[in-house]
Amino acid sequence: MTISMAHFPILAIMVLFLGAFLVALFGRKSEVLRNGISFLATGGAMAFMLALIKPVMIDGEVITYWLGNWAPVSGWAIGISIEVDALSLFFGLVITVAVFVSCIYAFTYMKEDDSLANYFTLFLMLSGSVLGLVLSGDLFNMFVMIEIMTFTAVALTAFRNNYEGAIEGAFKYLAVGALGSTAVLTGIAILYCQLHTLNLAQIAATLPQYADSPLTIMAFGLLFIGFGTKAFIFPFHPLAADAHAVAPASISLMISGVLTKCGVYGIIRLVYVLFQNVEVPAVQYLVVGFGTVSMFICVTMAFNQHNFKRLLAFHSISQVGYVIAAIGLGTALGLSSGLYHAMNHTLFKGLLFLTAGAVQHATGSLDLDRLGGLAKKMPKTCILFLIGAASISGLPPFNGFASKWYIYQAAFEKGSTSGNFFFIFVCVVALITSVLTLASFIKVAQSVFFGQLSPEFKDTKEVSLAMRIPMWILAVLCIFTGLLPGKVSEYLLTPATNAAMNAVNYIDQMMGQGYAVSHGVAGSLGDTAVTFAGVWDPVIWLLLLFCVTCAVAIVAILGSNRKLGTREAPAALQEPEKVAPAEAKYEPFFSGEESVYSQVGGSDLFWGFKHNLKKYFSFMHDWHSGIVNDYALYGVVAIAFVLVFCIAFV
Amino acid sequence: MTTFLINLVQLLIFPGLLFCVVFGVLLAGIDRKLVARMQRRVGPPILQPWYDFVKCCGKETIIPRYAKRAIFIGAPYVGLAGLIVIALFIPVSTYGSAFSAGADLVVILYLLTVAGVALIVGAATSGSPFAGVGLSREMVAMISYELPFVLVLLAVGRVAGTGTAIGCTFSLGTIAAFQAANGPLIAHWSLIPAAIAMLLVIPCEVGSHPFDIAEAETEICEGALTEYSGSPLGVFRLSHYIKMYIMTALFCAMFLGGITTGIAGVVGIVVDVIIFLVLCGVVSFLCMTIPHAICARLRVEQIFKFYWTIVAGLAAVSLIMVWVGL
Repeated sequence: MTISMAHFPILAIMVLFLGAFLVALFGRKSEVLRNGISFLATGGAMAFMLALIKPVMIDGEVITYWLGNWAPVSGWAIGISIEVDALSLFFGLVITVAVFVSCIYAFTYMKEDDSLANYFTLFLMLSGSVLGLVLSGDLFNMFVMIEIMTFTAVALTAFRNNYEGAIEGAFKYLAVGALGSTAVLTGIAILYCQLHTLNLAQIAATLPQYADSPLTIMAFGLLFIGFGTKAFIFPFHPLAADAHAVAPASISLMISGVLTKCGVYGIIRLVYVLFQNVEVPAVQYLVVGFGTVSMFICVTMAFNQHNFKRLLAFHSISQVGYVIAAIGLGTALGLSSGLYHAMNHTLFKGLLFLTAGAVQHATGSLDLDRLGGLAKKMPKTCILFLIGAASISGLPPFNGFASKWYIYQAAFEKGSTSGNFFFIFVCVVALITSVLTLASFIKVAQSVFFGQLSPEFKDTKEVSLAMRIPMWILAVLCIFTGLLPGKVSEYLLTPATNAAMNAVNYIDQMMGQGYAVSHGVAGSLGDTAVTFAGVWDPVIWLLLLFCVTCAVAIVAILGSNRKLGTREAPAALQEPEKVAPAEAKYEPFFSGEESVYSQVGGSDLFWGFKHNLKKYFSFMHDWHSGIVNDYALYGVVAIAFVLVFCIAFV
Repeated sequence: MTTFLINLVQLLIFPGLLFCVVFGVLLAGIDRKLVARMQRRVGPPILQPWYDFVKCCGKETIIPRYAKRAIFIGAPYVGLAGLIVIALFIPVSTYGSAFSAGADLVVILYLLTVAGVALIVGAATSGSPFAGVGLSREMVAMISYELPFVLVLLAVGRVAGTGTAIGCTFSLGTIAAFQAANGPLIAHWSLIPAAIAMLLVIPCEVGSHPFDIAEAETEICEGALTEYSGSPLGVFRLSHYIKMYIMTALFCAMFLGGITTGIAGVVGIVVDVIIFLVLCGVVSFLCMTIPHAICARLRVEQIFKFYWTIVAGLAAVSLIMVWVGL
């Protein structure tokens, strides 16, 4: 590693914050300057992260950096530090790519809004803070970054404050999010009282001595639920829904693809490195339990939504539930599948939010009961949406399938080797959630892109290329990460998993060789070799599908051509608008009745499912009251539950 | 080159495209004939499904006004291809599967979903309200049978994986090997409820009569297929027949493996494959023909309730028994 490489992480964070200040100073003057600075800052941060792949992911180095060269003296770390291991870099990569895409999308998407200098200032601060959070080597800076992140995100949620509910959504996020921040701060304070240090590596080294102390366990509970709040796990999910529904689409991408990942990163750091207690059964129940409940409740909530982005918001939490359930399994396979799904979730959910933004940009509406038939008007967006929907529903060969496949394997294997039925139950819930996800995306497809075109939207235009390019970047990444799980695993997942499971290396790189062992940290966690219960090879699969599709199509086309010259429908049938009025009375015999507009409303689909579970749904309906007091109460109850659970069982 | 040719033959002839079409059509024809006999009708000739398909291919294809042409035409072909790919992964008695390294039970579960989604997307793009209702019902049916299906797969995977390092399996190859060594899994008494559940999942997955809510021609004009005509309609019909074969073959591979003559060489394989096909026919008679002949169509919410309580209950009983080691 050259000297310059060691500066890359701090430079990546700095360019984003510097960009924020520059945009604030000069952004009001000219649009070109504002966009240029934002582009360079986000692109630069991404370039720094990409440059670190070689040393960190492939050569397995850990980059440490002490700000102002305040290196530890006689085993005590006082200065601010940055430590980039493969786990941090993995999240850093995911975050910077998402930030870059969101930034270039916003150039066109936000064009009609005013005070854009404020938007980009806040946006770059948000980006800098999330990157700082995952690269930081000390706990207090993580908290500082969480605070910057929450406040900028709240401001950006309410950015379009002329929208109905924008201020309300932001306020709920602020009020209940503060509960999470408080929990994190209290947890940090307890650890600091006990250990007199804030450095992650030093805490990780000294904590095992205090593993049985109730204070340590309390700190764990508070930190877990605090990071959980940032990932919007159950019961904090209503916040995400309210915030997403009103935020600009580029910010929805950030909240769902980037902010929740910070929560996930925090939980991984917490259970694998800091407390190293992921092998304690009670911790597994806690983490997997929260993940599974979020997964199922949020997907059923998504069923009842009428707003495109609200629906996506609930799915977002549901998918994060998959991630958290997977990392809680505590096996190498579980962790790497969780990381894989976290990355994929950023890609496909980002894509879906951007398509929702495109629909909103083109039609001005996100109402699933009013939209319909846009496939004809926005064919390119429709294709992008279908890629995103297929990915999130886990249809092979897209990336959602690959990571979900890993998660099923991990849960089934964990259940089998531990003999614990709980994990089999998790596997079943995960599989059912997947089909429910599919169902609700069928609903979106039917209500937005297919079905009948409402007369209201007959003049809709396709969005511009500048908005489609960011979507295509994400769509292509969705396809590639789905087709090459082997490569993704080799270059990204395995190094990150190994880094997370090897706390000793993380400590030693920071505090000097032998520091961990001298403080009694017991080696690395478990075996990182991975065995699969099943087999899956996307390349064979895709080749087969391709060949068979060709064969079937050729056979069908040859077969029909021999019998009939052409199967093309007469022009009059393809373009019925051109049919002379005199023939209109024959219209119903060709394709429906023109005079009757009978779109099946989005909320009416799947009546059979909802009818049977109407008690559950009416309970959920009452439970999500929309009153911030209630949500804060659920938050307090969750914190209390986690504390009691941790002290009683961990 | 030889491997490529062998793969090509597997892909196009056996156990791929041609075999699926021939046997699927035969199963469907026999099913219709038997139902007719049980209802004291003469019934169509055995090859009637084939005649229907050929006739459809010769007809004009009309593309509805609201449809997106590429998706409307492409959907049936993707669905059919998805099904034929499944056929390549299912081990056919001692012949084995054509591409065993390609997929396991979870992939097959999802490939079946691909076929369903192809129908749904094709229906959705046609813009017809009937198709809208049909696709909604198809999706509810899919949610209904998915839960018991998943429970059955996990129970089978647990039993068949007892010999492996991690004590469970999703691989059809391992399941086939386990049955070759220990006899068919249906003889394992704790799996009998799971086998019954699977027999009940098959007709709903295929969409045959008492569970054909998505096509219900008397209520919603064939639902998802309302706007389809010509060769895309023919391909959808063909997919339906092939699905009958796929699901029964999956049942045989999971529960009735290891029923072989034990004769070595090509003759043995041919006889074993014939036995396998006869078993498929029997399963098809049990789970599709009999309910078709004697039951009236269920309503949407009845199907959901039936599958998430009774059928899922059976499968769950099996899974729990297997899990506690019975």
